[in-house]
Amino acid sequence: MTTPPEIMMHLSEAAVSVELETAEMTLNIGPQHPSTHGVLRLVAKVDGERVSEVEPVIGYMHRGYEKLTEVRTYPQITALVNRIDWVSGFANEIPFMVAAERLMGIEAPPRAQYIRLILTEMARISSHLIFASSYPLEIGAATPLMHALRERERILDLLESVTGGRFHPNFNRIGGVKPAAGAGASTKKVSQDLPAGFLDETRVAMERVVSVCDDLDGLVSGNEIFQARTKGVGVIPVEIAKSYGVSGPNMRASGVPFDVRKVDDYLPYDQFDFDVAVGENGDCWDRYQVRLEEIRQAARIISQAIDSMPSGELQAKVPRIIKVPKGQVYVRAENPKGEMGYFVVSEGGRIPYRVKIRTASFSNLTILQWILKGILIPDIIAILGSLDFVLGDVDR
Amino acid sequence: MTDSPSETPQAAEAEAPSEPTGGDVTELAAAVAAAVGGTVAQTEFGTAKVAVDRDNWAAAIASARDEAGLDFFNWLSAVDWTKDTTLGEGVAEPDTVEERFEVLCMLSTLTDGRKVTFSVDLPKDDASLGSLSSIFGGAEWHERETAEMFGIDFVGHPNLAKLYLPSEFEGHPLLKSFPLLSREVKPWPGKVDVENMPSTENPEAPSAEAAESDEGETG
Repeated sequence: MTTPPEIMMHLSEAAVSVELETAEMTLNIGPQHPSTHGVLRLVAKVDGERVSEVEPVIGYMHRGYEKLTEVRTYPQITALVNRIDWVSGFANEIPFMVAAERLMGIEAPPRAQYIRLILTEMARISSHLIFASSYPLEIGAATPLMHALRERERILDLLESVTGGRFHPNFNRIGGVKPAAGAGASTKKVSQDLPAGFLDETRVAMERVVSVCDDLDGLVSGNEIFQARTKGVGVIPVEIAKSYGVSGPNMRASGVPFDVRKVDDYLPYDQFDFDVAVGENGDCWDRYQVRLEEIRQAARIISQAIDSMPSGELQAKVPRIIKVPKGQVYVRAENPKGEMGYFVVSEGGRIPYRVKIRTASFSNLTILQWILKGILIPDIIAILGSLDFVLGDVDR
Repeated sequence: MTDSPSETPQAAEAEAPSEPTGGDVTELAAAVAAAVGGTVAQTEFGTAKVAVDRDNWAAAIASARDEAGLDFFNWLSAVDWTKDTTLGEGVAEPDTVEERFEVLCMLSTLTDGRKVTFSVDLPKDDASLGSLSSIFGGAEWHERETAEMFGIDFVGHPNLAKLYLPSEFEGHPLLKSFPLLSREVKPWPGKVDVENMPSTENPEAPSAEAAESDEGETG
């Protein structure tokens, strides 16, 4: 029996005029959930569609790197640290190498520093392209993934041609960089440096990276659904960013033009002309736009570095056995995810006494309880994606 | 399409740092130490460290934020200073080392390159310290991590539950006395690199020290 139309109308009027009663319930998201980018678990208390409280649970990937550094020599730790944030493994190695070099009082030769800088910026492009592909996917746009990952593959191929590894280069040495992949005794003279044609191919790749950013702008940025999901969502005020130690693109999207590359001298960034991308409102939309702009600026830095590439040694003179003099040093770097730093306490041996690893994703996630309070359930996905974290970088 | 140019972020040139890092670390450390009522502990290697009294800890961090302008919470952790080291290499002078925890907290700015590490010493038998979670929201997780890894109690912390470790986990893994179980079961194959170079086993050959001093490149 069907309901007569007049009663149907009364029913629908009743539905809109009476506030539906909802009860608080607990919603468990993760640890195995595609939107959490790994093993992050969120225990959310929800009232209807509204999230009243979130308790993030981390530690599913805790590998105890800070303990492991206390039983490994400095050269061995290189292999360890590039597994912290595996999306930009190369960039993780730099601050640790520079920290050890500062304590030892040595400096990598200019050519090694330029190679480090080029590969670091490539790691940044690769990391941001992952973001530019996965973030629209989470919001519901599948096409940008193909465009962004295609270019990322080229970047990884170039990284692999130099370092031998796509994700875990293990390429830095204290005092410089390793001879490039494929170097052997017979080919020592020609292949100890960058592979032939690497700089030219990189130049072409940078042009393509800039053009894929324009493609992404055309595919995603103008999309009304994407804008509706991201604009005004997950706003991080500057004061909150400071209080929680939110760094990197997430902090710059809130309108702070601060970049470690501009103030510290861990790599020769002062020799290049580049802009710091900043947002205005600190919402998900700005965080997306800032990262796109950082890809373009990274391509700009790499092109300049290729033009002014110095020649010379790849390794400073270092002792046969690396012993780091007693001392404490903190060296930080502007990694794709934000500020990454190592506080190295050396007691003069071959093994550090203590290494505190400051990772960007961990500090960026401390904001979760604050930022997820009072929002709608679908916005959890939009905000988590826009924070661009890697669980290896959170759990260490 | 509601795209308008005004909504895209502007690429702005970051302001040049008012004072470059490195050279002015001594001045920075002295100024901050005076502002928070601490003493300068280190200025080498571009790393400024200011030692603070335990009773003054939270007040010093608050005045570093409000008066010295170090308003960006960077990180907080600790060091276990001990002469009993079961793993790795110990301290350089075991006879003079004072058994203690050293809690470290780094604050920096978002305008220039200034960054200062604050340190406070805690006796091992009374390892408790005032919580910073009411001053910096980010301190909450960092203190939870430090508490579970070292067994330090942060008084006034809203929820000092374990962060990384399972709640039933016993012990504090980053203590120097805590064994690394995988090494107990089986010595690590990489250990060969930690030992002396093969040449040192032969008294005729040059020693490790001699090999170091010849400044040869790593092979």
